[in-house]
Amino acid sequence: MSLFKIQNLTYYYPDRERPALKNINLHVEEGELLLIVGGSGSGKSTLARVLAGLIPDFYGGKIGGRVFFEGRELSEDGRRALSTQAGIVFQDPEKQLVMTAVEAEIAFGLENLGLPQQEMFRRVAEVMSFLNLSPLKNEFTANLSGGQKQKVALASVLVMQPRVLILDEPTSQLDPAAADEFFYLIERLNKEMGYTVVLIEQRLERCFHLADRLVVMERGEILREGPVGEVARWEVENALPFLPPVARFFAFLHAPFIPLTVKEGRRELKKFLPVSPARPPDAGRRASENNNPGPFPLLTMPKGQVKQERAVVEIKNVWFTYPNGREALKGINCRVEKGEFVVIMGENAAGKTTLLKQIVGLLKPGRGSVVVMEKDTRTVSLAELARDVGYLAQNPDDHLFQDTVEKELLFTLNNLSLADDGVIDAVLDKLSIVQHRDANPRDLSSGERQRVALAAVLVARPQLLVLDEPTRGIDYRLKKELGAFLKELAEEGLTVMVVTHDVEFAAEYAGRVIMMFDGMLVCDGPKDRVLGTSMFYAPQMARLFKDFAGGVLTVKEGLAKIRSNGDAKKCLSVNADC
Amino acid sequence: MPVSERRLLIRVGLFLAVAAGLLLLGVWKNTSLIARNWGLLAALILLAALVFLYLGFERRAVSAREIGVTAVLGAVAAAGRVAFAAIPGMQPATFVVIVAGFVFGPRTGFMVGATAAVISNFFLGQGPWTPCQMFAWGLAGITAGWLGILKPRVGRTEMVLFSFAWGYLFGWIMNLWFWAAFVRPLNWPSFLTTCAASFPFDTLHAAGNVIFTLLLGKTFYRMLMRFKRRMTVSVLPAPAAVPKDSDV
Amino acid sequence: MERLSYEEKGVFLQTLHTGVVLVYLGVLCVLALLFSHPLYLTGIFILGALAVIVSEAVEKWEMYLRMGIWMALLIMIINPLVFRTGKTVLWHGPTVPVLGKLDICLEAICYGAAMGIRLLAVLTVFCLYNAVVHPDKILSLFARYAYKSALVVSLATRMLPAVARDLANAREVQQLRGVDYGSGSLRERVRKHSWLLNIVLSSSLERALQVAEAMQARAFGTGPRSCYRRELRRPRDLLCFTAGILALLFSLLAKFKGYGDYTYYPQMGKLVESSSSVIWLGIILISLSLPVVLSWGWKHCPYLRSKI
Repeated sequence: MSLFKIQNLTYYYPDRERPALKNINLHVEEGELLLIVGGSGSGKSTLARVLAGLIPDFYGGKIGGRVFFEGRELSEDGRRALSTQAGIVFQDPEKQLVMTAVEAEIAFGLENLGLPQQEMFRRVAEVMSFLNLSPLKNEFTANLSGGQKQKVALASVLVMQPRVLILDEPTSQLDPAAADEFFYLIERLNKEMGYTVVLIEQRLERCFHLADRLVVMERGEILREGPVGEVARWEVENALPFLPPVARFFAFLHAPFIPLTVKEGRRELKKFLPVSPARPPDAGRRASENNNPGPFPLLTMPKGQVKQERAVVEIKNVWFTYPNGREALKGINCRVEKGEFVVIMGENAAGKTTLLKQIVGLLKPGRGSVVVMEKDTRTVSLAELARDVGYLAQNPDDHLFQDTVEKELLFTLNNLSLADDGVIDAVLDKLSIVQHRDANPRDLSSGERQRVALAAVLVARPQLLVLDEPTRGIDYRLKKELGAFLKELAEEGLTVMVVTHDVEFAAEYAGRVIMMFDGMLVCDGPKDRVLGTSMFYAPQMARLFKDFAGGVLTVKEGLAKIRSNGDAKKCLSVNADC
Repeated sequence: MPVSERRLLIRVGLFLAVAAGLLLLGVWKNTSLIARNWGLLAALILLAALVFLYLGFERRAVSAREIGVTAVLGAVAAAGRVAFAAIPGMQPATFVVIVAGFVFGPRTGFMVGATAAVISNFFLGQGPWTPCQMFAWGLAGITAGWLGILKPRVGRTEMVLFSFAWGYLFGWIMNLWFWAAFVRPLNWPSFLTTCAASFPFDTLHAAGNVIFTLLLGKTFYRMLMRFKRRMTVSVLPAPAAVPKDSDV
Repeated sequence: MERLSYEEKGVFLQTLHTGVVLVYLGVLCVLALLFSHPLYLTGIFILGALAVIVSEAVEKWEMYLRMGIWMALLIMIINPLVFRTGKTVLWHGPTVPVLGKLDICLEAICYGAAMGIRLLAVLTVFCLYNAVVHPDKILSLFARYAYKSALVVSLATRMLPAVARDLANAREVQQLRGVDYGSGSLRERVRKHSWLLNIVLSSSLERALQVAEAMQARAFGTGPRSCYRRELRRPRDLLCFTAGILALLFSLLAKFKGYGDYTYYPQMGKLVESSSSVIWLGIILISLSLPVVLSWGWKHCPYLRSKI
């Protein structure tokens, strides 16, 4: 018998005309890992909440169809039973912790279940040791890192010993290292502890291979479900994006077997591509020959551009120490020209955000200077700098507070005493949010809110656009739209600087990549050189093609490589064009 | 009058009885123990009042949503205390508490006010002022809640006057304990002198409340009302099968 | 508002049972309000100061004292203004409305000074509270009797740093949209700041729903609840508890016998009326000082540490 069985489920959120779920039929088997993918608004999170028993109890609304857990209908069980059948970990670690201390947080669910002391002690102790949370036992939950918070959230669900673990994009707010650790835990829970897991995820590179079955959802419906390889092939045929690059690449090649990991992929690739003896040009080695006086190699611009006289951003030997004594920037030198698309990467606390704040003028260098559009940030007021520099925060909600989208744009113009010479129409049009002109920004979807915030920045016609983690928590399609849009802006002459953890995003859209570590620039150059030769910051395709061919960062480039290789072409029918 | 309101009245009555008892104990000349020790008495009465008010919140069934929104409003009010540190004397905590009480009723109003006081002091440092702030903000929330019940369609002017008054009332409540514990004799002139000392701050506070009510009152009211509607959920049946969208 | 006022320093008083700490600090506070004799008040203040020092909270204490001095000054100003029956008039002032004739007398100033010490003693106790009681401990203590209220406070405490961060982020973003927070009239500046409140409120309300959902998913409100508490009881708790209660009993006894009060008006009495007054103070202070002594011993003597 299936653990969960859903029959003809239809669900409407309160006051909504469109159903969030439409005729859903699905079953979840004991011990499997079911991966659900889909764009935002596809209903996958809603489905997770149905399984967790939160819909309709918590949300209300209209519901039709039946949901069974081990043959019993879900609505017959009390809420207490529901919460021990399925535990759910939500997207945002910030918004699911309740108590002030870690240990109390983990015990919260058990208290609600009314368990006796002795049982609670035992369960809390076991979970804390399993997840290695004991060192954080008395920590103030608000001061934990995102990864730690998410681990505590997982612990506080596991401690209730649910039969099924439901994870609703648990890593979308985490940095790659924390996300990897989280997935590793999920893998252990599924493979070693036998937990049944329903995983909803956007970061498919890291979890695709863990799945037993794949479900693709769109617009509240299940488009397809089945074994991963089969669904992957079907996705490529139907031009759906919910695949990690390696799988997409091989599905395009019509390979008989769809590899899900880099390891499997390289094994497949070996069959029709020889390992090239000549290694790709190594940026690091060349730098040491150059014997530059500066600590890092001087840049050569992409596309063989010659250095222009006037840089958009000129950072000269910048050092910065926070008032609490942390030295966050150590001798940064960097020059960004007009029309560049620069991505800044690096681990947490590497100084990326600090550097960003230096560029927009929120922080002033302790030593050295930052000159943006020929304005020294130490002497120019923020408001004056704001005319040339646009800044999009990680959370678009930090921008929005006006009643309508139009007012939001006007607000920026008024602050900078600019006139609306039709620029509002132009920007709204460009970001295709004209239809929301009179809507309250807060009523829009998260992707639309981000675009409104971007519009409110672009309306001032900045020369430099700085974005902090713009891809965090947004889905494939929105990411693609954003990337393409930013690239277009850069081609029109706007300088774009993005801080992100998202390697695939950088590989796809950036021109130049800067890598930071411990307050220093450790690598700076065109993306294929920085990412292509990187071990850990390499996109999946670069890892796949490592030693086979250089300069492959994206699926497109991979396919081009194959097409240009006669031998490989013979083995495969390369006709796909992406 | 709804049952819950009647219970509240009973509780208020009970509290008044306890307070009166304590006060009697205070004027009873032969008890040298706490006789005339108004500082201690005032502290005891204050604590008793808080206990009673908390019991009021404790007794009723509270949903997760209500807990969440109460806590969040308390946190916003508390955060407001720091956000405006750049402008001396201006802090929106009282304003937030009043709007919260007005929209969500006296009990939530009390909880928001008291919580704002406690939690901001977890960070800024607890002191003898904590119970006074809890009481003062709590009372601001309660009275705003009553205002909301009695006059749900209160006008802008009335709201402005109400928040203006709370600027001073807050200061006076804060002065009460200070006055009772550290000033002799306890008479009107001495209380007025104490209040005169805090007059500039209270005036700023009242002015701030007025400005916030004028600037944000309507927006906050609308935002919270909209949110309040989302607090109740109802489940309805829907047809199990929906015709396919032709545009998919 | 990122850091709690409490810091984990591993000092003796932080290892005590929360209930015991509360009793002890409560006794200190009650005694400070109970007595009006300057010697008694000074004694309690000094004891509190010693407790602060052994709890390594001097830095925090300085902050409290700095504030306390101003308030004490205020007390010393207000009292002479309103009390005029003292015998030793220092200055005959003019007649003002409400207050009447302003005669400043020595007794009132001295009373004010004694009350200043009382205030400092109370502040010291609160400072000690901040230094040794983790908010979470107090919340879990109260959760047994009033879990809904405790939960609200706990949740709000947890969210406050996030809300404060939201505020800071929103402020930065608006600055970069050209909002200058430093300029403009008072009203103008308040207006600019109030936008931030607007932003934060709407983000926070969303947050409230999500947290509520997480609580619901973890079986909140599904029936009778139990309470998770893991506070240990050690001999030191019994010792300190006894010390606190004894001090309170001794004080009440002394108060019944008429010690610990002091005549300020109309003329000040002798500072030391009788030797038994000092003896009673000594007894009270000795019983109060047990936790302080244990603190010191606990830190310096491993043998004692293992035994209590």
